[in-house]
Amino acid sequence: MSEAFTKVMARNIFYGGSLFFLLLFLALTFDTEGTLPERDNRQAITGKVAMGKRLWENNDCIGCHTLLGEGAYFAPELGNAYKRLGGKAGIIGFIESRPKDGIPGRRSMPQFNFTDEELDAIAEFLKYSSEINTANWPPNIQG
Amino acid sequence: MTRGGSLPETSRYPPGDLAVWIFILAELAVFAIFFAAYAFTRMQHVALFDQYQATLDRNAALFNTLALVTASYFVVRAVTAIREGRTASARNRLWAAVGMGGLFLLVKGMEYAHHLGEGIRLSTNAFYMFYLSLTFFHFMHVILGILVLMVLAMRTAAGHYSAQSHTDIESGASYWHMVDLVWLILFPLVYVMH
Amino acid sequence: MQYQSQAVAKLYFTAAIGLFAGQILFGLILGLQYVVGDFLFPEIPFNVARMVHTNLLIVWILFGFMGAAYYLVPEEAERELHSPGLAVLMFWVFLVAGALTILGYLLVPYSGLAKMTGNDLLPTMGREFLEQPTITKIGIVIVALAFLYNIGMTILSGRKTVVNLVLLIGLAGLAVLFLFAFYNPDNLVEDKLYWWWVVHLWVEGVWELILGSILAFVLIKTTGVDREVIEKWLYVIIAMTLITGIIGTGHHYYWIGTPEYWQWWGSVFSALEPIPFFMMTVFAFNMVNRRRRNHLNKVAVLWALGTAVMAFLGAGVWGFLHTLSPVNYYTHGSQITAAHGHMAFYGAYAMIVLTIISYAMPMMRGRKAANSNRSQVLEMWSFWLMTVSMVFITLFLTGAGILQVYLQRYSDTPLPFMVVQEKIALFYWMREVAGVVFLAGLVLYIASFFVGSKDPEAAVEQAASPTA
Repeated sequence: MSEAFTKVMARNIFYGGSLFFLLLFLALTFDTEGTLPERDNRQAITGKVAMGKRLWENNDCIGCHTLLGEGAYFAPELGNAYKRLGGKAGIIGFIESRPKDGIPGRRSMPQFNFTDEELDAIAEFLKYSSEINTANWPPNIQG
Repeated sequence: MTRGGSLPETSRYPPGDLAVWIFILAELAVFAIFFAAYAFTRMQHVALFDQYQATLDRNAALFNTLALVTASYFVVRAVTAIREGRTASARNRLWAAVGMGGLFLLVKGMEYAHHLGEGIRLSTNAFYMFYLSLTFFHFMHVILGILVLMVLAMRTAAGHYSAQSHTDIESGASYWHMVDLVWLILFPLVYVMH
Repeated sequence: MQYQSQAVAKLYFTAAIGLFAGQILFGLILGLQYVVGDFLFPEIPFNVARMVHTNLLIVWILFGFMGAAYYLVPEEAERELHSPGLAVLMFWVFLVAGALTILGYLLVPYSGLAKMTGNDLLPTMGREFLEQPTITKIGIVIVALAFLYNIGMTILSGRKTVVNLVLLIGLAGLAVLFLFAFYNPDNLVEDKLYWWWVVHLWVEGVWELILGSILAFVLIKTTGVDREVIEKWLYVIIAMTLITGIIGTGHHYYWIGTPEYWQWWGSVFSALEPIPFFMMTVFAFNMVNRRRRNHLNKVAVLWALGTAVMAFLGAGVWGFLHTLSPVNYYTHGSQITAAHGHMAFYGAYAMIVLTIISYAMPMMRGRKAANSNRSQVLEMWSFWLMTVSMVFITLFLTGAGILQVYLQRYSDTPLPFMVVQEKIALFYWMREVAGVVFLAGLVLYIASFFVGSKDPEAAVEQAASPTA
């Protein structure tokens, strides 16, 4: 006579259920990979954009900003910075003009002393990011 | 009720292992939310849903409904057989249920091949998103259910179960009926209602 | 302590507490920078302090998990550790690598650190939580492999219990999923897609297995409830965790360029993610109510129950608050996310490590079962101070988040980010005050290791009443 609720059955559900949903997740990921080319703006990824992404990473921009809503919440969203700041010139002008010692009492972005080429690459990267199809997120231009 | 082992398993309610029922409830919750989401989205896009619903093969789905119900019938008969200790009969009926489930997979697979051939994907439109999500999620449940029934059939043949001890078969049967029940809601909701 | 080799856990637990203290100090710096923007600028900019805060968190939790494994695996397997020497060696490797990495963050500009460590050869840096130089990441993999080998050999050649197997599956999953940290394509969407395979499948997947098995171990030991019962619960809980949590990854795929069906898949499954946490709460209280004895280490039981409740609140309730895609459309990347993150990490992972430390440390420091009454009372005070202040931190951040979402995203005249930040500064000040109280709790916690350590052990009470 067995119990109403057995460990073996609980174990089988754990292994079976986990495997089941793992396979389902892989199937959905497979479909996602097939759909991404229509949404992720990959045709715009040039050498310049890749360089911009590397600069984005090597200066840990995500440690203050969000990009497509992911990152830190200390500084503005940058997925739509290209649109909000009025194109590449706006982005470059903002980064260039940060005071070295900050602004008394207020948050300020550090002065990174980027070269012109680097500034252009970052702006290109943010332009590419702004053209990813994000299902209309963020809700408005303020990010 | 069953404490002390004085009553035979057949009198226990719910039948099968309680752990399976927790699992079944969770699964039903997922399907219920998905069905509600379908109904909600359909209300906002009635024309679109009606238009693409017409592209589905209702005859194939009807056939599949019959296949699943027949499989459930065999599963019920298998449980009856094992309760009476007729092992060979239980085994045969489990294999028959596996066969009917396999038929379902075959027909549904042909439907999928047809849709995929037309370039239909999850992202094609809201109707196909729900149609493919719901039916594929259910499809995977049928596969799992068949695997469970196959293991049960083999273990029955190997003499693991008897009239006194067959909780696993009741558990597997409960799971299979859940898979069947979900289809009985899915079929009218997705294929027929408009 | 039944086996000599369990003692290596003491090193790991000590390091975990030390790094925890560092994490909280940097948390306070960050909190202050939210309202006094130029605090420590440009010496320690916000992003550097945040890296230190989050990386210390991850490292001390990992130290805690490893310590927990080294403590409980021999006892469950009923044999000594495969190699205590390897465990000690890996401790120092991990500690030195971790310390060097943190010093690198603080002493060298991040881009300089990237250059020094050759990030361009295999770029993996500069992504949230995965900021470590590639060389550190490789070090983490080596430490993880050596650790898994040590634990795995012990488990496989000893008594195989469910607690041990689940722990091993969780730890192996942790190591395997970390490998996705090395995949960093130029395509931002794919970068983000697989970044979540590390982050989400860790904290809402395999880490919950580790959490479950540690909790089960402590409950078996402190309540005396039949192992069979507890192991059954453990299986059902972790089954629910993975059933809901794997597809639940989809709640991160709403707005990052991934297909829109994830809004449905992610919402449906993550709506169910509170279930395993709820079951864990029911489970913990159920087991304690059915206890067969009153364990002398009362504060360890308190931590165990606290973990179950706070994990449910932080990960379950606060997660559910913003997981449905229509809600998340407005809350994504706001202070709501920060609120959830704080309570979930504290409630689930910080508290489970503090639970096992509270249970195991007294025995490793020469007690038979528990600390003196004075020490336990102090530790209980620290429990309440830290836990209640974390509730307030979460509430204040939630308040800030609701206002932020309204002013910046929902109202008819959305305001710019920085304008909104100034309007909600009051909430940030209150959060910082709550953070100071948390630090006070932490100081008491550390003090509890020294206060009353000469006093006699907590005494035996009257026998447990079975109906309690």
